[in-house]
Amino acid sequence: MPEPSLLAGFIAPLEVHTNPQSLLWMFPLLLSIAIIYKATKLRVLFWKRFIREVVVLFITISLFMIAVGVGLNVLVWYLTG
Amino acid sequence: MKPRSPTENAFFMVTVGLLAWAIPGAGHFLIGERRRAIIIFVTIALTFATGLYVGSIGVIDPVNARPWYIAQIMASPLVGVLANVTRSGQYAVYGRAADVGQIYTSIAGMLNLLCILSAVYMAYQGRGEVIGTEEDEHA
Repeated sequence: MPEPSLLAGFIAPLEVHTNPQSLLWMFPLLLSIAIIYKATKLRVLFWKRFIREVVVLFITISLFMIAVGVGLNVLVWYLTG
Repeated sequence: MKPRSPTENAFFMVTVGLLAWAIPGAGHFLIGERRRAIIIFVTIALTFATGLYVGSIGVIDPVNARPWYIAQIMASPLVGVLANVTRSGQYAVYGRAADVGQIYTSIAGMLNLLCILSAVYMAYQGRGEVIGTEEDEHA
């Protein structure tokens, strides 16, 4: 019996190349982390405030990760160049 | 509402913890934090499912990737059921997709661990009973 296509997606890996674009997979994960952190941290959860705080945290973590990536890249370039 | 005895309170906290592990967000739901529960369930389920979709269910590997598996099973005991399916090693898992899948599923598990602790702490404080109502009134 042929397997349904949706389930087939879960039994074979997607094609993810080892290129700089693959680092973009980091951002959905950072969003999840920001959402869960704020969902557990906020004392009272109002939608508008929650969304605002999640966006601010997501941008902060993203900028930090980009800065770390650039910093490490420069370090490797300096050490091996 | 009649305050719980220490034994009842301990039993309630254990129940909240176990339920939060079994179904992400269920612990918060039990203590009346329904909005948090929905956010937690949707986010953790989506993160975990994305990891499985990208890397295949082969990323759950209790034999060759035990440390990752310990993080993954924090998402739910159902991961153990999946591990029994993948134990035979018949599911392909390789390359960058495997890394992405493993990281997504493990982070989902770690995030659920944070939610379990949060739910138990809120149950200990009796917060859900007050704040859950407060949120509903201002919705």
